Amino acid sequence: MNEKLILRVVSKFLIPYILLFALYVQWHGDFGPGGGFQAGVIFAAGFILYALIFGVAPVREVIPAAFTRYLLAVGVLLYSSVGVASLLMGGNFLDYNVLAHEATHGQHIGILLVELGVGITVACAMITIFCTFAGRAELNAPEEEEED
Amino acid sequence: MDVSFSYDFPGLLNYWIIVVLMMIGFYIVIAHGNLVKKIVGLNVFQVSVFLLYITLGKIKGGTAPILADGIEAYSNPLPHVLILTAIVVGVATTALGLALVVRIQDAFGTIEEDEIDAIENDA
Repeated sequence: MNEKLILRVVSKFLIPYILLFALYVQWHGDFGPGGGFQAGVIFAAGFILYALIFGVAPVREVIPAAFTRYLLAVGVLLYSSVGVASLLMGGNFLDYNVLAHEATHGQHIGILLVELGVGITVACAMITIFCTFAGRAELNAPEEEEED
Repeated sequence: MDVSFSYDFPGLLNYWIIVVLMMIGFYIVIAHGNLVKKIVGLNVFQVSVFLLYITLGKIKGGTAPILADGIEAYSNPLPHVLILTAIVVGVATTALGLALVVRIQDAFGTIEEDEIDAIENDA
């Protein structure tokens, strides 16, 4: 869809706001509707929109396949390490209350880190799934031309 | 606390939408030979189940389950959390299904069920 002028201009204009909105949903998730799952998908939607218009290869230059694969694990690690940290600080697994000097403060820190982990993993999973499927077309295209 | 729903429509509108969505999804799954369309049908079916569970958990006037002044009734958060997980599982199963379709396309050169059947019967 690279030849469509309106799509190119509008998507370039919109992508920063999509990413900004994703960050808003992420960080505002503990006070309002939102959280890691939604923010991750919205964040990935920005990259997927870019990949739809300009192709998967430019997206993979910005975020290589290995990078998203590592971040997939980093998100899960962040989530579970919050749980282990609360274990080490004398609480139950994922017991946010013990993470800081007072319970409310600890819950804020805990939910923020857990949701950040969820957001990272979900965003990377969506980007990985999309780029893997969409990248096949670009991988297969040159071979088909040779057959002709 | 008034937890009853009253609409002029017989029954709760959500349940009608659920039934319609479920039947649309079911019809797509059984009526289309195209495997990608089948996955889309499964997704529509899935959404109807999500809506069913979310509707079961919702109470009219109910808020988020937070301890605070002035909050008397809250929606049951358990179905909502279950469905949050189900949505994630749904994405994973869709990705798995599409991956299988890609491999079937590689192996048979088609994703139409009748054509795959014909190729398999010839072999």
